[in-house]
Amino acid sequence: MSGTTFALLLGGMLAAACVVYVARPFLREPVLAADDDRLEQLDAGARERIALIEERDRALAALKELEFDHRTGKVSDEDYRALVSTLRADAARALKALG
Amino acid sequence: MAELGRAALIVCLGLSLYALLAGSLAAWAGRRRLAASAQNALVAAFAAAAVAGGVLLSALIRHDFSFVYAADFSSRKLPLLYTVSAFWGGQAGSLLLWLVVLTGMSTVAVIFNRYAAREVIAWAVPVLALVASFFAFLVVAIASPFATQAAPPDGAGLNPSLQNPYMVAHPPLLYLGYVGLAIPFAFAMGALLAGRTDERWLVATRRWTLAAWAFLGIGQLLGSHWAYVEVGWGGYYAWDPVENAALMPWLAATAFLHSVMVQEKKGMLKIWNVILVVLAFCLSIFGTFLTRSGIVNSIHSFTQSSIGPWFLGFIVAITLGSLALVLYRLPMLRAKTRLESAVSREAAFLYNNLLLVALCLTILWGVTFPIVSEALRGESVTVGPPYFNFFLRVFGLPLLLLMGIGPLVAWRRASISSLRRMLVWPALAALVTGGVLLVFGAGSSLPGLITYSFSAFVLTSIVIEFARGTEARRALAGGSRLRAFSDLVARNRRRYGGYVVHAAIVLLAIGIAGSSVYQTTREAKLAPGESMEAAGYTLTYRSLRTERRGNHTAVRAQVDLYRDGHRVARLAPGKNRYAAEQQVSNEMAIHTSWLRAEDVDVIANQVNPDGSVYFKVLVKPLVNLIWLAGLVFLLGSVIALWPDARESRRYAERYEPAATARA
Amino acid sequence: MVALSVAAVLAVFLLYTSIAGGTSASVRPSQLAGHAGESVQLAGLVLGPVRGDPYEGGMRFRLRDVDGKATVPVVYTGTKPDLFRVGRHVYLKGELKNGLFVGERNSLVTKCPSKYVPKRPQT
Repeated sequence: MSGTTFALLLGGMLAAACVVYVARPFLREPVLAADDDRLEQLDAGARERIALIEERDRALAALKELEFDHRTGKVSDEDYRALVSTLRADAARALKALG
Repeated sequence: MAELGRAALIVCLGLSLYALLAGSLAAWAGRRRLAASAQNALVAAFAAAAVAGGVLLSALIRHDFSFVYAADFSSRKLPLLYTVSAFWGGQAGSLLLWLVVLTGMSTVAVIFNRYAAREVIAWAVPVLALVASFFAFLVVAIASPFATQAAPPDGAGLNPSLQNPYMVAHPPLLYLGYVGLAIPFAFAMGALLAGRTDERWLVATRRWTLAAWAFLGIGQLLGSHWAYVEVGWGGYYAWDPVENAALMPWLAATAFLHSVMVQEKKGMLKIWNVILVVLAFCLSIFGTFLTRSGIVNSIHSFTQSSIGPWFLGFIVAITLGSLALVLYRLPMLRAKTRLESAVSREAAFLYNNLLLVALCLTILWGVTFPIVSEALRGESVTVGPPYFNFFLRVFGLPLLLLMGIGPLVAWRRASISSLRRMLVWPALAALVTGGVLLVFGAGSSLPGLITYSFSAFVLTSIVIEFARGTEARRALAGGSRLRAFSDLVARNRRRYGGYVVHAAIVLLAIGIAGSSVYQTTREAKLAPGESMEAAGYTLTYRSLRTERRGNHTAVRAQVDLYRDGHRVARLAPGKNRYAAEQQVSNEMAIHTSWLRAEDVDVIANQVNPDGSVYFKVLVKPLVNLIWLAGLVFLLGSVIALWPDARESRRYAERYEPAATARA
Repeated sequence: MVALSVAAVLAVFLLYTSIAGGTSASVRPSQLAGHAGESVQLAGLVLGPVRGDPYEGGMRFRLRDVDGKATVPVVYTGTKPDLFRVGRHVYLKGELKNGLFVGERNSLVTKCPSKYVPKRPQT
């Protein structure tokens, strides 16, 4: 077998293997109802939930960081007192919204 | 075997196009199996590209000169390491490398995230496939690495300036950086296309961005180091368009890395962040285009080059397409919270963004203006270092200062009193440093003096951050200082790794200032036995030596370097003449004085027939801080990149609670 | 706030380009006449014979339009790039004085072909 033919044979095998791999999802589940073939997408409720979770995590992280900043002296006592109640309220609100 | 390579590339192109089309359809219509099929196509495209890469690599190593590419960029006498590096020594090979790295990274990114954010991935796949299709198209139809010919007895050899370890590592590292930016770009576009405004895409790509950015930084430093030791003009950065090509995406990525912290903590700057990631990626494609298309030389070589117009079209299409998408989703991205005070950490990040983007855009303007001017007016201009250095100072020095101020400012609103309290030590350090240096003569350059003072400011603020943090940790949990310190860093790797990187940038600034504005240059013609002076050193030229080595002839001037009457070094600057490539390279001799923290560079500019030599001597203070900065940069990046199991779990619970519950 | 900063940046930029001389016109030998007495960057192909020593007394040669016939005599002192030779595309800064282009010291650079293009001409 000449070099060219061998090379083309290898190329053909590569192509065939790739085609099989690409068709695999369809080969594994050849017959599927439309509902079972749905891509996992978030509905409005789930998105809302994620937004609320992010807000909760942000509020809690902000509180934690405020504590740390106060401890390291970045935030003075009076600034701390002024901010901590605001941040606590934010966190409480976020936790409540999540239910 | 070239046929296998060509076939593999055609297969890769076909798979990429399928991934693009099927992926888009699957994401738009919400079809799971089709989306999985498109994902598989992207992975298979990697396999095909890898096969093509393997064919080219084997041709190079086997010295198969029936491959035009192997004949053009390698030769029999070439050492193995450089034969391998010849893979990316030419345009077609480097495009193939881009394709292999892109499909490889896409495969990893998609596999790692296959249980997460299915809808984002579903759109990210066609975006990545779009980029892959472009590069696959280029190597299939426009610049193929698999052209064949009747094999000549030997190849033309690799350009001698590429024959050293730095130039072997430099392109692959840069490519890891350039291509790495495609991942956050694709995920950002994926999130926008899927209509999601939460941080899922950010969280998924945070380490990719950081790694790509680190590769770009290290790659550039290696390139500068190469320029310094190998090209040997005594400098390390010439504001060449090809150098700027890597700097611009790095600056944009730096802005992006910082800006996302504000989105994470405050939910603000979402629009900035998508624009920054688009800018970073478009600039990295532009950078590849600048380096490989020939447009740098003149607009004529651009239009004659085969890939130039295609690249330009692609860049324009991607930029316009991404911006259109951002505009379309603009209402969704608007922040609900406003900036409360111009003196706050949020504001500091905003100023950071503005300064970095301003610097990036002025460099971009400096690079493109000559091309635009030539295209429009027929008359070309050159934009030289004075332009770039001016703006580097105008934007860079405030950025340097901001590195020291930002971390010490509180979120939301910082009162003047707390600012004063936090900044008093750094400010004092800056003033003292400035004063002392003024006494020692640093006043010869105002920007230099300012750089040193600001550097003292930032270093002090970094030390304070680490010290106060350790104390606070110790107050909370007890234990030794060392324990508290390692705990502190471990619990917040991104922040403290980031501070280490800041320290690296400060070292870089000091090194650049010292070796540029405070350097000494002397030139003289010396006959054997004669001497010259430079900054307290005496250089005596002894004799000339010629030697034949491997693939070149080395001509060296034997030189003795003295200081205070003692000989400190024996140097041999000279030139190499390469037979096969018919080129001459300059071999600069460097003496590093650790005690005096400076480099003495000796260049033999011209060897005259009568044996006399024209020498140029440069004394560069603090230049080695630049390379040390590279190591510190690497350390900081590794710390910031280090996996954090606790954090990963938190994100998994937040975004895929069903999957986490199952696991 | 963003608008203000953008305006500030623009101001700095315009200020610079109007005052400083970061850019200089890049001309060909055929365009020199229009820029007499002005410091410009001259680009062209090196024509022999090349006489003299750039490090002492000045190197003399002629530069020709890259795609044209106009030539101009040049005298240059300073560092000579390793890649300098007859037929090379070079750039140097300087001024036209009495028909002779006097190059600025150390401003000669060769525009070598990209490192990434093979030496042999490609069809």
